[in-house]
Amino acid sequence: MYLGMACLAAISAASVGAILSSRNGGVTRLANPQDVHVADSVFVSDYFGFAYRVPDGWSQGLPGPEPSQSGYYVLGTWVPTRDFTGTILVVAQDIFFTPDTSDGVKNVVNRFRQVMSSVDGMTIDREPEPVKVGAYPGYRIDFSGVGLFRSMLAIEIRCHIVTFNLTSRDPELLASLARSLDDLASFENKAGPVPECLKDYVSENVLHRIEPDGVAARTASIPVRVIVATNGSVKHVHVIRASAAQRRDIEEAVRQWRFKPHLKQGRPAEVETGVIFGRGAASM
Amino acid sequence: MKTVKIARAHALAGVASMLLGSVAWPTDALSQNNSTARATNADASSNAATANVTAGQQSFGNNFGRSPSRGGGTDPGVRGGAPGAGGPLQGLSDAELQYFNAAKDVFQEVDAVPDGLGPRFNLDSCAGCHSQPAIGGSSPAKNPQVAVATAAGAKNALPSFITANGPIREARFVRNPNGSADGSVHALFVITGRSDAAGCNIQQPDFAAQLARNNVVFRIPTPTFGLGLVENVPDSALQSSLAANAHQKRALGISGHFNINGNDATIARFGWKAQNKSLLLFSGEAYNVEMGVTNDMFPNEREGDPNCQFNATPESVTPLQPENTGSPAANYQNDIELFSAFMRLTAPPTPATSSTAPVAQTTGASSLATAATAGTPSQTTGSTSSSSTASTLMGSATADASGVMTTDAGSPTAQSSTTSTATITRGSQVFTNIGCQACHTKSFTTAKSQTTGQSNVTIQPYSDFAVHDMGNGLADGVTQGGANGNEFRTAPLWGVGQRVFFLHDGRTKDLNVAIQQHASPGSEANAVVSNYNMLSRDDQQSLLNFLRSL
Repeated sequence: MYLGMACLAAISAASVGAILSSRNGGVTRLANPQDVHVADSVFVSDYFGFAYRVPDGWSQGLPGPEPSQSGYYVLGTWVPTRDFTGTILVVAQDIFFTPDTSDGVKNVVNRFRQVMSSVDGMTIDREPEPVKVGAYPGYRIDFSGVGLFRSMLAIEIRCHIVTFNLTSRDPELLASLARSLDDLASFENKAGPVPECLKDYVSENVLHRIEPDGVAARTASIPVRVIVATNGSVKHVHVIRASAAQRRDIEEAVRQWRFKPHLKQGRPAEVETGVIFGRGAASM
Repeated sequence: MKTVKIARAHALAGVASMLLGSVAWPTDALSQNNSTARATNADASSNAATANVTAGQQSFGNNFGRSPSRGGGTDPGVRGGAPGAGGPLQGLSDAELQYFNAAKDVFQEVDAVPDGLGPRFNLDSCAGCHSQPAIGGSSPAKNPQVAVATAAGAKNALPSFITANGPIREARFVRNPNGSADGSVHALFVITGRSDAAGCNIQQPDFAAQLARNNVVFRIPTPTFGLGLVENVPDSALQSSLAANAHQKRALGISGHFNINGNDATIARFGWKAQNKSLLLFSGEAYNVEMGVTNDMFPNEREGDPNCQFNATPESVTPLQPENTGSPAANYQNDIELFSAFMRLTAPPTPATSSTAPVAQTTGASSLATAATAGTPSQTTGSTSSSSTASTLMGSATADASGVMTTDAGSPTAQSSTTSTATITRGSQVFTNIGCQACHTKSFTTAKSQTTGQSNVTIQPYSDFAVHDMGNGLADGVTQGGANGNEFRTAPLWGVGQRVFFLHDGRTKDLNVAIQQHASPGSEANAVVSNYNMLSRDDQQSLLNFLRSL
């Protein structure tokens, strides 16, 4: 069956707008990568600004784990409501905190191909090739083994590699799931322009830095995303994974940091960047 | 204790209990790991409630929350025949072999109160806990805690979670009465009433009340076979391995990280949460926590009642006069050093050969040899699936050393070695394809070793020794070092073919159930379990047969 439908039109501006930001005590809270929701069978990522209409007859599966020490997120899972014939898994990897994802989605998919082709009994059914995943340019690879047929479609948004991982026992169903992604829609961030994504911005541009208390120096990696406002102040701090106490201490310290204002084509622009506390980059 | 020799005799037995060990104490007492309690820890009460379930009582279905459309394979059961473990490493020198044998003797000793047992304890010997399928292993089918509860005149009541045919368990309380985090072991038994503990009158914890509060979680002994080799895998190899298949992990919802030791910032790798840095630490902690024997590493009694203190502390120390053992080196070693030596010099489990591997089989499994040879799926047709559904599974079968299986009905069914090899080969392929090996990493190579013949040895533990979020279904709410209440170390699968109980709390004897229990809200294993549940019945069976061959 063909599951793809023109979902872009079906995603109302109202439903999208509601997810871009939320009000908490009068202060607008900016979305973080794990902030996703489903409304009227449309899976919406506030942070990444995409919307995906889930195929008819599919519903949400088990939620995944919390974000990892390397900034890895399980954004959503879906399964057929009736017969268990396939799965959809959507994940995101922050490229700031992993060396093997920072050189572009093409290289990421090629490395994935290398790993999967070395698996005993695994067949590469479709070599990595550029595709359009809805509004986004990306790469796709198909592979199969032990009776399971799989596709991975990868795109890059806001310095994250976002992948849609499709699995089915039925190649036809797999094809239809892949087609359903043709309608992956993007929408504008109502909170304003998406900040420019710059790796290692902190080390080169911070003017005033206070170290947080209580951050274990060597036992864990604590990845943090920071949005720097046009005037060089810190607009948003996202402590991706830490204890509650560490989170509080880091947020309190980083909010006091000051940066050189960033200019993009001569005009002040917001910057989104990452910094790691503790042990440094995680292995995984 | 004053009589070191006696203590030693009993200390060996205590080593067994260290497998259980993975207490919060090492973290606190030695500052081994700084606590990095995660903000996302599951609610303690729900964790505890989850841990209280027994085999298969709580299941989140399979993958991503839907019931599997196919039933799953049948666990062939504990592999019979000779234990493929328990002996010394191959290639040891004569002196090392003597040392191993002396250490193994100590590992089997049974302690009484004059030797240091108690005041609170879970068992009185190391080997009592670590005995399946051989000395050094995991929980046996018959629980020795039942007998020890009333040994030597003790009047201990058996907590409801300790049964004659259930797993050996230690109990931890998730929270203190004031609501703060606990997580430590609360020993099951006391020495009160024992003939060698006159005047001691402490009581057992009120487990019934704690169970009613959903405040009790359990752990079973972990096997110790081959751990010296694991200890000698360089950190860099573990880190490289975790990074090497990161791309595959990301496509499966898997991340994981190591439990880093707070003292030297290296990877801790022993215990259910990888909370123990070394075998010596593992030994010392278990000796005190599981058996109540204070030692050079954990020198203070956990129970403070002066009426129950019968020995000078530490009760087990390095002997100043040589003891008469079969090993000159062992004559001056304290108990925990010898426990460590036993684990360090014990060989890893040996996988079954095709002639000894038990396999359960579906009627459609005759195609397995062809499928495995050709590297093609065996289930891709609907006819195969339907035949699987109608198949007669040789479930709960056991095999003797000749590979003859006995079914539930008791009628032996000879499995040809060709079929056995085919299904195990296919199972290995399935294991890799669906993503099990993303965490249950097959092999590592050791560094240069002080032990004869153990340098640059390739081992197959089937673990990445990282900790992973296993979801609400397995969460115990206990934080140890860098492992939070949802996280557990990837359990090494070597020797799993001869294990009786599975998962950290021993909630099931059924491998299929153990696989399904990997899936629950928040688990990194959800996608892999989904893949398992989408397999053909034949391939599911092959996977289980493969696991029972390890």
